[in-house]
Amino acid sequence: MKKLLALMMALVLAFGLVACGGSKTPAPSNEPTPSTQPSTEPSAEPSAEPSAEPVALKVGAVYINSKNDTAGYTFAHHNGITKAMAELGLDVNTQLAIVDEVPEDDTAVRSAIDTLVGEGCDIIFGISFGYINAFAQAAEDYPEVIFSHGTGYLSNDTNFNNYFGRAYQARYLAGVAAGLKSLELGNNNLGYVAAFSTEYAETCSGINGFALGAQSVNPDAVVYVKSLGAWADEQNEYAFAEELINTYNCCVVTQHCDSAQPQIAAANKGVFGCGYNSDMTADAPSAHLTAAIWNWNVYYRTAMQAAMDCAGDASKFVEKMGTPAYYGGLAEGFVDVSPLTDNCAPNTDKAVAAVKDLIVSGQWDVFSGVKLHVAADGTVTTEAAPLMDNAGNEIVAAGGPSVEDGVITGTMNYLVQGVQMG
Amino acid sequence: MHLHVIKRDSCPGWKKALLYVGAVLAALVLGGILLLALGVDPLKYYGRMFTMGMVGNKIAYRVFENYLKVFVPLAITSVALSLAFKMRFWNIGGEGQFILGAVAAAWVAFLTGGVMPQGVALLLMCLAAMVASGLYGLVVAALKVKFGTNETLLTLMLNYVALYFLMYLGETKASWNILLDPKSARPVFASFGKMVSFPGIKFGKFSLNICVILTFVVGILVFIYLKYTKHGYEIAVVGDSVGTAHYAGMKVNTIVLRTVFLSACLIGLAAAFKVGTAGILSTAITDDVGWTGVIVAWLAQLNTIGIFLVSALISVLHYGSTAAATTFSAVDSSFANMLQGVILFTVLAADFLIRFRVVIDKKGEK
Repeated sequence: MKKLLALMMALVLAFGLVACGGSKTPAPSNEPTPSTQPSTEPSAEPSAEPSAEPVALKVGAVYINSKNDTAGYTFAHHNGITKAMAELGLDVNTQLAIVDEVPEDDTAVRSAIDTLVGEGCDIIFGISFGYINAFAQAAEDYPEVIFSHGTGYLSNDTNFNNYFGRAYQARYLAGVAAGLKSLELGNNNLGYVAAFSTEYAETCSGINGFALGAQSVNPDAVVYVKSLGAWADEQNEYAFAEELINTYNCCVVTQHCDSAQPQIAAANKGVFGCGYNSDMTADAPSAHLTAAIWNWNVYYRTAMQAAMDCAGDASKFVEKMGTPAYYGGLAEGFVDVSPLTDNCAPNTDKAVAAVKDLIVSGQWDVFSGVKLHVAADGTVTTEAAPLMDNAGNEIVAAGGPSVEDGVITGTMNYLVQGVQMG
Repeated sequence: MHLHVIKRDSCPGWKKALLYVGAVLAALVLGGILLLALGVDPLKYYGRMFTMGMVGNKIAYRVFENYLKVFVPLAITSVALSLAFKMRFWNIGGEGQFILGAVAAAWVAFLTGGVMPQGVALLLMCLAAMVASGLYGLVVAALKVKFGTNETLLTLMLNYVALYFLMYLGETKASWNILLDPKSARPVFASFGKMVSFPGIKFGKFSLNICVILTFVVGILVFIYLKYTKHGYEIAVVGDSVGTAHYAGMKVNTIVLRTVFLSACLIGLAAAFKVGTAGILSTAITDDVGWTGVIVAWLAQLNTIGIFLVSALISVLHYGSTAAATTFSAVDSSFANMLQGVILFTVLAADFLIRFRVVIDKKGEK
């Protein structure tokens, strides 16, 4: 839009300048000097707001895309925040302030935070990774406000935490559904359209979780990954899915990207798919099996409740949360799989429920030295076996514990056996 | 009935001012209608927009500091672009030149920050940025002078070369890449703000960044340069007619090369101010000033004082609509872009009315 305007201006200039040669200065006294003294109100105590009522919480949020989006990442967070507020009896119209379309630029993010602090927000959420430095700095500068940063890794002991979820657990369940479908179809090839692969632990753990889930059913399953190099790229999302189907004869296509294009491609090609972020059945009814989904309201409700429990003392937030790094999974209901569709192979519901039980109860986790075997009738057995990457290195010894959260959120940079870059 | 468009010989200043103010008001009314349709009270919205949410704000001083951070790069970039535009050299490459300047400044900051005195480091940052940006612009000017290439296309395309270069730097972990944070597992730009940054002058809680003062100094210098120097006169002549300039014995090629270099240099300075205040690079470092600057330069009709006025207003529009949008859930930040577009069109219309008269010729009616 702006480029178009700029180009138009250039054109207008090109044709228009001749005529206005004589136009000269407007009154020079109008020259803008920053003479307007900024109203520095002497020492307004910020922490003096008494929150007598338990529901007197003002929520702030910094979004990467528009708050009026109807799909995608920002939409999912906005939905989560508004839903959590409704659950807690907070008024979205008066108790929520948002600055949206904020790029990952420290100056821009800081300016957004200043705006929200000026609005009197008690807790401010930031949803994009690149907000990390600005949030850390603001948490230092405004100790009376709570800061909560999604997908990041910085925090302090008082008013600043980060949050993310064990999406890989939901991925594993989707992988089980895909594996059963591949057995039914007699085709071992699965496709994965990913924003990135090993560059980000987030995408990497998702790919690995899905592959391990599929292999628990079908040990011969191979996951072909095509990496977009961008979090959202609708055209290529479709094209890459189509290519995976054409080149590798993939029978189930899953994704880690913003839109439902890979699912639509799968439907058009007559194969099956697993969505991500939200239930994509409506986008591809003939193809969709299930989707790994986020219930962001679960975190936002927890965080807002903790903020209210602080009763005006922001420094108690991390203590009330119990941890500076919230990392919920299936057990909290933070991630899940969407309802299984009729496209799924028989007994998928039984298998998914059995695996989910193992994870929710804490008996087992995905990246451990114990493999699950899911039979075609949906029964699950376990076996100690090492976790290997696709270069043949042992990541976890047979029987060993699941890799640490920090690895999954931050430094996982390998693909497991059975994953191939396409 | 016939409509005739007749060129005006002159238009009195008060009439011009009235038309421009009227144009902006008309745009606000159009925006107001849209706001009404969204169920938002336009008066409340505009009230918050023009005060940038500073009324009743306990950290209003920060709001004004942030506003100046938006204003400074925009004003200098617009002034810089006007230099080239005056000569009818269509430099649409402000974005790219800004990016290269920012990269150069950041690179120098990492090399000199903490090693050299702050003042020296800042000076070197500015110089590096100006040279990098200047050369990026000069390439296009040289190609135009030598081979008659189209500068609009070239500067435009080079924007994307610069942007992808910046993205490459932001995503490539390597020992030579001193711009990235070695402590982060994911590739992210590192901050040098604690080592070197432009200082501010304290007025109570409010801190006036030195860049703001320097911006006005640059504005005054450019004003003098264009109005009272031989170079300025040459730029005007080349802009009016290359033939005349040749006939008058001016070295047109030299003038073009010199002016474009200067224009791009100033954009580099804007970038140095921006990155030296932010203390970190980002792929959104330009804040679109390369594009907005073209609009500002045009709206101000390349008048230096006008550019400062329009930059100040456009910055209020951008910053203020963010502040206003926080409280009105139906309106998102895009409203500022829309309003800016509408203002452009209404001012264009006003401009047309200033230069031409529309006469209804009733004799043509039969």
